[in-house]
Amino acid sequence: MRFWRMITALAVLAWGLGSGPAGAADEDRAVSGRFLLTDMNGRAVTDEAYAGKIRLVVFGYTFCPDICPTILGTLSVALDQLGAERAKVATLFISVDPERDTPAHLKEYLSAFPEIIGLTGSPAEVAAAARNFKVRYEKVADPGGDPALYSIDHTAAIYIMDRAGNFLARMPHAAKPDRVAERVASYLNPKPREE
Amino acid sequence: MARRAALAAPECESLNGLHTLACFILALAGRRLRRLGRALTGRSSGLTLAALVLFLAAAPTAFAGPKLVQGLIIHDQPRPVPPLDIRDGDSRAAGLDALVGRPVLLNLWASWCMPCVAELPALDRLKPRIEAQGVALVALSLDRGGKVAVVNTFARLGLTRLDIRTDEARTAAEKLDAAVLPITLLIDAQGREVARYVGAADWDAAPARDLLDALATGRRPTPDMAPPQARLKGPPP
Repeated sequence: MRFWRMITALAVLAWGLGSGPAGAADEDRAVSGRFLLTDMNGRAVTDEAYAGKIRLVVFGYTFCPDICPTILGTLSVALDQLGAERAKVATLFISVDPERDTPAHLKEYLSAFPEIIGLTGSPAEVAAAARNFKVRYEKVADPGGDPALYSIDHTAAIYIMDRAGNFLARMPHAAKPDRVAERVASYLNPKPREE
Repeated sequence: MARRAALAAPECESLNGLHTLACFILALAGRRLRRLGRALTGRSSGLTLAALVLFLAAAPTAFAGPKLVQGLIIHDQPRPVPPLDIRDGDSRAAGLDALVGRPVLLNLWASWCMPCVAELPALDRLKPRIEAQGVALVALSLDRGGKVAVVNTFARLGLTRLDIRTDEARTAAEKLDAAVLPITLLIDAQGREVARYVGAADWDAAPARDLLDALATGRRPTPDMAPPQARLKGPPP
């Protein structure tokens, strides 16, 4: 019982102190959208290739062996909802599985999401990009022992970066498409602050 | 289990200092809770408790991982299924309203989702068997391209029994709160979701038969009816 009391006390303490806006803002300032990767046509690209566009960025991998997030579907519906404004948005899917997600494979996979750009790279390039976004990922062996069927646990979130590639917002992976579209629209056409 | 515990760590990384501490502690507590949950009521409630702990740990930053709960989730109260704009191979309306009075097994899949595609042959085999029991089986593709992806996938797998059902309006995932695929909903004859299976199920296994019998006869499912997860075999295609 002492264990539970300790857990509860620590949880309450950390909840109160940890959810303050100052801490979260510090964390967000540390996110940088810099990267050097390879696009799905095999070309080396940096974040500057998308200069002038708001970027929607997610990290993931295509060989999900047990369940697959519907996050790319969410993004593509959000882009539909943006209508003509979507031309001002670059939507990037950065693989955390460079071993299996080759440019050619990403291209084939993303034919299901024609408006999304797939990026991969060497393991070191992918690691550097993830570090800049404060994204963590870790290979998890297949419980059945098949070395080809590993999965990857990774930070799942939707990052919105400004036209120069700086951090604007992070949304939960389960955000509804209209919320994502609204948020992107608010950055494309900022309204004067009401406060 | 180790995998889900490991999942806590990447999430903790993105939080600030004190929160990170709490997140790790709660992740450790999650392991104890899971053990307790398994001891008390079986595997799925252990996972639910663990998911709750992880959710609480991550909630203040509106941040969560995609794969906390898998397997059979039995709802405390049946939930009405919102109207869905389902289309057939000719783009004609083929919504669930036409099936009122019959229980429905509604599988959500997409051609880009490997475990979904791997599960389809079992659903194709299952269809005549459960339809003989009065249960309708609907495999709804969430593919953007409408029926093209469905026709290609069915042809590639040699499936002949499943009907083409598409989500052209692209609203089903949101309406049904499906953040991952595959998901299979168990819908009763009154059009209410009584349970859902997250992940690909082994529909040929004995517990699946009990589960589908319960659906056919309007009995409430129980945790022992949870089919095992179907694992992919061999190298990725």
